[in-house]
Amino acid sequence: MSTPSLSVRNLSVAIHLREKISTIVDQVSFDLEAGEVLAIVGESGSGKTKTAEAIMGLIPKISWQVEADAIELDGRDLSKLTEAALRKVRGRQMSMIFQEPRTALDPVFTTGQQLCSIYRRHRGKTKPEAVSAARKMLGRVGFADAERIMGSYPHQLSGGMRQRIMVAMAMACEPRVLIADEPTTALDVTTQAQVLSRLVSLASEFGTSILLITHDLGVVAQYCDRALVMQDGRIVEQANIEDLFADAEHPYTRKLLASVPRIRTG
Amino acid sequence: MQYLLQKMVHGLLLILGVTLVSFILMVWFGPDQTYTLIGKNATPEQIEDIGRQLGYDQPFALRYANYVGDLFTFNLGASNSSGEQVSSILRKTIPVTLALMIPGFVLGNLLGIALGLTAAQHRGRWADRLITGLSVTGMSVSFLVIIIVLQVLLSTPYGLNLFPVRGWQVGDPLSYFRYVTVPTLSLIFVTLGYNTRFYRAVFVEESGKDHIRTARAYGASSASILWKHVLKNSLVPITTRVMFSIPLVVISGSLLIESYFGIPGVGKVTFDAITNGDQPVLKAVVGLTAVAFVLIQVLTDFVYKLVDPRIT
Amino acid sequence: MLSGLYLWQQLRNDKSGLAGLSIVLIFFVLAVGVWAGLLGQDWSVASGARWQSPDANFWFGTNILGQDIFQRSIFSVQTAFEIGIVVSVFSTILGAFLGAIAGWYSNSWIDNAVLWLTGVLDSIPFYLFVAAVAYALQGKGWAMHIAMIATFWTTTGRLVRAEVMKLKSREFVLSAQAIGLPDLQILSRHLLPNTSHILLVQTSIAFVAAIKTEVILSFLGIGVQNGVSWGLMLAESTQEVLAGHFNNFLAASGMLFALLIGFNLLTDALQDAFDPNQAAL
Repeated sequence: MSTPSLSVRNLSVAIHLREKISTIVDQVSFDLEAGEVLAIVGESGSGKTKTAEAIMGLIPKISWQVEADAIELDGRDLSKLTEAALRKVRGRQMSMIFQEPRTALDPVFTTGQQLCSIYRRHRGKTKPEAVSAARKMLGRVGFADAERIMGSYPHQLSGGMRQRIMVAMAMACEPRVLIADEPTTALDVTTQAQVLSRLVSLASEFGTSILLITHDLGVVAQYCDRALVMQDGRIVEQANIEDLFADAEHPYTRKLLASVPRIRTG
Repeated sequence: MQYLLQKMVHGLLLILGVTLVSFILMVWFGPDQTYTLIGKNATPEQIEDIGRQLGYDQPFALRYANYVGDLFTFNLGASNSSGEQVSSILRKTIPVTLALMIPGFVLGNLLGIALGLTAAQHRGRWADRLITGLSVTGMSVSFLVIIIVLQVLLSTPYGLNLFPVRGWQVGDPLSYFRYVTVPTLSLIFVTLGYNTRFYRAVFVEESGKDHIRTARAYGASSASILWKHVLKNSLVPITTRVMFSIPLVVISGSLLIESYFGIPGVGKVTFDAITNGDQPVLKAVVGLTAVAFVLIQVLTDFVYKLVDPRIT
Repeated sequence: MLSGLYLWQQLRNDKSGLAGLSIVLIFFVLAVGVWAGLLGQDWSVASGARWQSPDANFWFGTNILGQDIFQRSIFSVQTAFEIGIVVSVFSTILGAFLGAIAGWYSNSWIDNAVLWLTGVLDSIPFYLFVAAVAYALQGKGWAMHIAMIATFWTTTGRLVRAEVMKLKSREFVLSAQAIGLPDLQILSRHLLPNTSHILLVQTSIAFVAAIKTEVILSFLGIGVQNGVSWGLMLAESTQEVLAGHFNNFLAASGMLFALLIGFNLLTDALQDAFDPNQAAL
């Protein structure tokens, strides 16, 4: 049994707001196996995003409290690392894609500048090397005119295009783990398929494991190997896809599945 | 094109508004200038003569029209007190005011931005608390107090006695440095508290945006996040702040600084004109300020286009 | 929406805000004391030798005319509050009124007129405006107050306008209109109360601005004409300090600083209390 790409033990996230402490994530534990696509499913407010942000170390120290026994990336415990060491991991061995393409990219820099900065920072490339690497990557996420895209600002591009650029940025360093937080929720169905299929094919090519956060069970069924179901900050069920859809154990999961509209046959 | 036209109309209305207000207050309700000009022992004919010259027998609309007309044709007349041409007075004093106020204004904003970024970068920690505390303190001290304290500390035997107490004998870089330092320091002290607090708020707000989270998720250091991403994204509010504080800081500020330090700039001339009731000078200054304000607004729009690619 | 209890609950936990409030209250009590004829009544009496050092009789010493600096400082508290309250209250009322009307009738000629007015008032150099108003009033003492009220309202006006524009399309307004309430009633009973957080903060800010402005105006000779204020004391002291006499200066600047920082801390606390995101942190 190989080491899981990502191993999370007893992760909890709480927020202090004017004397009240609210638990957002409660003792979450799971493994992400090498090469698999693991879905985290749940309604809004179930703690999915905060779990992801906690793993990436993106939760601010003021007002927030993050505790975990371990957060291991390929066996290395991230929760024990200094901020400086974590910065070397983020975007390189572990990367994240966010939900809202309209606001996730920096509006005052071109997409080329943003993509190249990743190559320069994490792979030590010079500017011309970064530019050609960026151009290649843009091609791989399906842009025919990489040159024009690189010179464009985010507001000049569509939502689907922006998400594909995020995929390019996320996969630029061939990370071990990619966390995708509802990457296609804000996109229409056809674009969804484009983005997700590119993402999954690149991931399998690079050997990247994906943690896919979504509330769309259709996406879960189509792209994922296993799924975790979260409710109120806790994991209530873990199963592989066939088992989940065929015979879910937890009542909450059953409710989620039942709420998906089905087309009557016959 | 239509946008530009609209802006020009707005600007014109503004200038008309300002001149109307100043006309009403200073001329219509203003003191009778007759005796100022010809003294107390005047014959009735002389009084009537002057009255006609000053236009006292004409209706409101006509007098106002002449007032504005004079302004637009640069027929600014001569000072009541010194007899010198107003245009020549302005030509001599405007450069002095600019040389005096620009260093302090620029430095006050640059330092405010730097301190605001530092405070935002270390938000909630001691550096932030210190900077915020100093800002509030700075905001609670009167301009006058700062000027007096600096003057005593730097220019008198009770302090360092390094700089001149007042005046403006500037001919070379060294003398410029000697005369401009104390006023510049006063201006920085007065504006720094307000600037820092404003910029800090802007930077903190920007730091909470999604794309900053993205930058952090890809390993950017907090210094690079603030000084590169947050700063560049904040250029629009920074521009607004800088441009619209120019009238307040440079124009009103120069009045106080110049009268206190005896520096012959537009501010001092204006202040003397206020005390002496020198209307031609006041009229010109008010008109000039209104035009400057309109120009600033136009310039601001132009700067927005330069700094933010989203604005076309 | 402002609720006194809610506000107090928020403020209670803000140490610097409480400190600010205490300072303001102390000064307020002093002001009332002067107004009631109990304190600082001998501010103009020249009873001592000039430039005496502080002693049992003259707690802060005397100025060039032999007047008691301590009495003058205390009397000035009343002057400061009088100017501060008059200017801040009236400028906020004016700003709220014009801002609400402009916001309600946004993009109409009324809105454009109000915006034009704010632009004009912001473009006139303030000290010139004060002097001009003083001329127009033939030197009656209200020039300073009127000039300040006439120019300070613009910030409040703009903020209220923006808020009213935001609230205009909310459901509670639409339902009020649906049941046929007249515009004026909607504005005064429903919209303006929802701007009370803005108005409270702006009043506090205007108070500070008014006192600071008075200092400079008095120095320039177009401020307080009768009575004494910290501004006048500072103006007197400008020559004195060059000769090494600092008591007048220290007394006036010290008390001024104390009141100002009290108000500024209070303003910050108010802003934090009204901000759902817990502003400073």
